[in-house]
Amino acid sequence: MADRVLKVNAFTTFDLLDASVEGHGFEETAFATLNVRTAREAPEEVTLELELDNTELESVPPHADRVTLSAAEAERLADELQSAADRVAAAEGE
Amino acid sequence: MPTKVERWKDETYGMEIRDHLLRFAEEGWDAIPDDEHDAWFERFKWWGLYHQRKGQESYFMMRIGTPMGRMTPEQLRTVGEVANEYATGPVDNPEFGAAYADFTTRQSIQLHWIKVEDIEDIWDELESVGLSTIQACGDSWRNIVGSPVAGRDADELINVWPVVQELHETFKGNDLYSNLPRKWKVAVTGDRRGAGQGDINDLAFEPAVKEIDGEASETPLAAGNAGDGEVVEGFNVNVGGGLARKEPRFARDIDVFCRPENASDVAAGLSALFRDYGDRDDRFNARIKFLVDEWGAEKVRAVLQDEYVDYELPTAGEGLRDEYDYNAGRADAAGDYIGVHDQSDGQNFVGLSVLVGRMAADDVIELADLADDYGSEMIGLTQRQNVIVGDIADDDLDDFLDEDLLDEYSPDPHPFMRGSIACTGTEYCSLSIVETKNRMVRYGRWLRDNVPVPEGVEDFHIHLSGCTASCAQPQIADVSLRGMKTRKDGDAVEAFDVGLGGGLGENPKFADWVKMRVPADEIPGYIANLLDTYEAERAGPEESFRDFVAGRDEDELAALAESEETSYEDPYLGNTKLTWYPYAEDTSMDASPAPTDGQGESLPSDD
Repeated sequence: MADRVLKVNAFTTFDLLDASVEGHGFEETAFATLNVRTAREAPEEVTLELELDNTELESVPPHADRVTLSAAEAERLADELQSAADRVAAAEGE
Repeated sequence: MPTKVERWKDETYGMEIRDHLLRFAEEGWDAIPDDEHDAWFERFKWWGLYHQRKGQESYFMMRIGTPMGRMTPEQLRTVGEVANEYATGPVDNPEFGAAYADFTTRQSIQLHWIKVEDIEDIWDELESVGLSTIQACGDSWRNIVGSPVAGRDADELINVWPVVQELHETFKGNDLYSNLPRKWKVAVTGDRRGAGQGDINDLAFEPAVKEIDGEASETPLAAGNAGDGEVVEGFNVNVGGGLARKEPRFARDIDVFCRPENASDVAAGLSALFRDYGDRDDRFNARIKFLVDEWGAEKVRAVLQDEYVDYELPTAGEGLRDEYDYNAGRADAAGDYIGVHDQSDGQNFVGLSVLVGRMAADDVIELADLADDYGSEMIGLTQRQNVIVGDIADDDLDDFLDEDLLDEYSPDPHPFMRGSIACTGTEYCSLSIVETKNRMVRYGRWLRDNVPVPEGVEDFHIHLSGCTASCAQPQIADVSLRGMKTRKDGDAVEAFDVGLGGGLGENPKFADWVKMRVPADEIPGYIANLLDTYEAERAGPEESFRDFVAGRDEDELAALAESEETSYEDPYLGNTKLTWYPYAEDTSMDASPAPTDGQGESLPSDD
């Protein structure tokens, strides 16, 4: 198998998440790492990177996905995550 | 744009950091301004000090660089005494006690729980016997690696000890090379074993011979058919190896032969080339391996020739790679220095196994005394985290081998207690995500007690690294373990990605990764099943484990063995990264006594 694409250490945002990949005619689940990254110097964007364990996948080749967000987009995402998290927490508390 | 680290380095770096450290030693931990911690901790590295991880604030790891791992018994004793006096923390390690020294894969020594208040006293003790922490870390010439038995080994082409001494003297404390874009790791090999492991260094001098006629001939040495020129022993020069950042590279051949007397000139040229052309805008892209990727070996050679060296560089000579056996995974030769070996002067050097490279401070002192008693003038630390005692006379050999200390640090260890390397791990390191050294010790013992050794296997190399930073060199082992997490019975537990079949030697190869997220408590079962398959399916004892792996494709490797629970018990399965110290009675961050003052008393928290 191929090595991981993303590095993983104590600064990785999540080293163990449940994830899935879906395409036309296939859907697979795997553990994944998810990391939020910005440049150390004068960052201009936020990068969100995701890699599913390639040993658990047959439908797609080993790879990682990256999304870049502006500061405003990252804040909007954070707001929506916060709202969603609140709803889940509220539901769990019911 | 230069990075933040580059700006800190521009303000203060190199030799002058010593004065600041002495000031902080005098004034105490609190004198280091909170908002300048990152800058000062980065600079302290140059003088061998790494701040320990979260929960251990005010404590430092101290690295002592010993060129080629070579020391006198007196120096070793001093290391043990310093460890006993200054390198003890709030909690003992359950396997190694209160004080210990770590022998590293770059033949240095690491001590932990060092207080900044003690720095001056520690330096006084170390420097009184010729030891130093200078440039043990940071962006400069690191500790030069190579065979500690150079000049003693009966199995060598060139005695490189004088070369390494010259390089060490030239490039330590030298302002011209004190601020490089990133670390600069150099290996010098003169033996036929490949014990310098130059392939994974920024700059490697590899033993070679070349026929040179007249001034500076370009005539390569024809094997078995030397011409009229002089056959010269020296080095081929390789550049740009390294394992870190998930971008492993073997050093590239730049087609240069170097006489021993030119080693300093070539090394100066290449480190100046790195200083001037290395990437200072992106530390992740700064190591010279990336410059070699970008330029290619030919351009590196051309720029070195045109801009940095004032004599015509000969083309590469004939190397000795086909003889290399150090960490080479060969069935016909052990890949380390363990055991009794001939010296060229008729005496012997004895390699002792130090599991995961950690030795209790009292044992360090006892070993130094033992070496003195037997007239040894040389202690050597190896890149496999083991130790060598040189100069044992034939008549004394049996007595030396009977010494009680050698029951613990054996010259003839069980194969599973012999070949293991582990990095620092979550015990002290900010990057690691799993516990490493104590776990590897427990793995070794369990394997020894429960798993039959396949016939013919003398050493079996397991390299255990706590994350993808590769400090335990996981890509070049029979079995590579790299820290990860997984879920088991609903809980997040420490785990490992597993690689197989890496090693150096004639044809160096990085491991093939075959499993992801194997729970840490199922690794011994996996290895047991793996070796069972190996013994059952190999062509014969002459087929090494590495060759066995090389002969199989990806799917076959993944199917070689399954992990499983066994009688092995893992006390560190939980998330040790979240503890202040994994072996404390109360491991929660809130229970940490850090930061502490010079006497180890807790200081008021800023929170």
